[in-house]
Amino acid sequence: MTVLVGILAVAWLVPLWLVVVTAMKTSPEYFHDASQWSLPENPLQLFANVRDAWFTSGMGAGFMASLLYGVVAAGLAILFASLGAYSVTRLRIRWPFFWFVLVFSGTIFPFQMYLIPLFKLYQDTGLYDTQLGMILFYTAIALPFCLFVMRGYFATIPLELQEAARIDGCSDFGIFRRIILPLSWRPIAVLFLFQFTWIWNDLLFGLVLSTSDGVRPITPSLAGLQGQFSHSGPPLVLAAALLATLPTIVLFLLLGRYMMRGLTLTAAGRAGSD
Amino acid sequence: MASDAKPRKAKARKAAAPEGTEVAAEASRPFGRLAAAAAPYLYVTPMVLLVGVFLLYPAADTMWLSLTKWNGIYPPTFIGFDNYLNLWTDPVFITASLNTVYWVAGVMLLQTALGLALAVLLNTSPLAELYKRILYLPAAISGAAIGVIWYAIFNNQFGILNASLRFVGLGALTQAWLTTPPLNTFSMIVAAVWQGLGPTIILFLVGLQTIPRDPIEAAQTDGANAWQVFRYVTLPLLRPITVVVVGINLINSFKVFDIIWTMTQGGPYRSSETLAVTMFRDSFVSFEFGYGASVAMVLTVVTFAVAVFYIRAIFRRLEVQ
Repeated sequence: MTVLVGILAVAWLVPLWLVVVTAMKTSPEYFHDASQWSLPENPLQLFANVRDAWFTSGMGAGFMASLLYGVVAAGLAILFASLGAYSVTRLRIRWPFFWFVLVFSGTIFPFQMYLIPLFKLYQDTGLYDTQLGMILFYTAIALPFCLFVMRGYFATIPLELQEAARIDGCSDFGIFRRIILPLSWRPIAVLFLFQFTWIWNDLLFGLVLSTSDGVRPITPSLAGLQGQFSHSGPPLVLAAALLATLPTIVLFLLLGRYMMRGLTLTAAGRAGSD
Repeated sequence: MASDAKPRKAKARKAAAPEGTEVAAEASRPFGRLAAAAAPYLYVTPMVLLVGVFLLYPAADTMWLSLTKWNGIYPPTFIGFDNYLNLWTDPVFITASLNTVYWVAGVMLLQTALGLALAVLLNTSPLAELYKRILYLPAAISGAAIGVIWYAIFNNQFGILNASLRFVGLGALTQAWLTTPPLNTFSMIVAAVWQGLGPTIILFLVGLQTIPRDPIEAAQTDGANAWQVFRYVTLPLLRPITVVVVGINLINSFKVFDIIWTMTQGGPYRSSETLAVTMFRDSFVSFEFGYGASVAMVLTVVTFAVAVFYIRAIFRRLEVQ
């Protein structure tokens, strides 16, 4: 039985192995290889292919744009969700549960429900095909889940800490900034990892809300490059796929444990709603 | 919420002006009191505005647009339920619905069942950590890149799979993996399971770790074999997490888009579309926005139905306890 699992694990690595090996070949080398399994003549060709991919079909610009969206939108979503979570758990706001449900209801719809009106809204307001537009949308889509997690976490922070700080003359915002946020760095880190990865991997909204190099994220750029697969040659396209995968794979290898924990959080929170 | 907070603030400023010079504890002044009452609403303002404008308003608008005919240029015209009536005779929609059923069934069988079996095996394996990492690795890759990778394997002319089959003398087994319906859908399901199996295993492992050892050991002392222990002890105890995993996989397979978009774009001749791809093509390739909106609505209703069924299953379990 254990042998069976071992074989399966090896089988699971085969596609990745093939991708890496192919990305190390030149295009003629690939087309002359009858089996497609032979080792590359010069593994360093990988860097030449990745460099070529960077300058093809807006991949490089997409890489930088996705990095920007991932970092800024994930950061903003966590900030706004934390402010909101603080208000509904610790401040005197009317109907705290209503505000929570209102924002959390942003997770119940399939993404297809957002596309058409967003496309129209973006065209009418000039947000279409702008970096600002992409950041605003990615912040909004990441917010509900961040609120769910931060609200749950803030509820576990003892009230005594807050009262002690208040006696020492701390304002509401001071308590949020100096006490609540620093205590919450763990869920914040998990959320950041999770939302960055989600934004990096998004294809649908990148396709609908952007079109030009420099605004378009990396996944739609990759999908565009894929369209000319036979023209550009499989090694170049797979090198581009590696480029598009690199950040999330590196994050996984470094912080996989947190990613898997994030997954169980999602299962609890979203119950698979998106 | 903004409308709630702003009038109060405006009133607060007026009231505070004549008293501006008084030296008093801030909270005792009308301005301070009202500002203090309004402040909590300012904290929720950014999130409510962003979610309201970019998620909730579009969702509500799609419901309305599904009752209209709209090409995106002239204003939408109200046509009642015509879009929905047209769906049932539209061959593209019927094919997409059938393909969506294939996706759900394929993911259920392969990903959920295989994931459960592997989780049970891994639960006692000393190498569990390593295997978990390996099997989870593809889940860190975007659906778009998964599609690109498996396109390189499955494509007809110079795909790695067909080349390998020919190379080992099994040329008779080569297939047009991505251009023959419904084989192209099954090929793409393989790619999706490669990506999704790891997360399923992790969730089942979390469930397995919450199962107490005692009933399993009791069954073993009573002479139950491994299969009987699994069937009559582990599986019933695992029910809560199974419901969650089935729900997640069900709903995700209803909405699959990215892998299809980079493997076949729903083609050839719209033969491998799912509802999510059909919605995208009708809206952003054919520019029939009203019709696309009605496909989005069907997707939503089906997803909600599954979600309700699945939440009820959880509550029924809670009542039993």
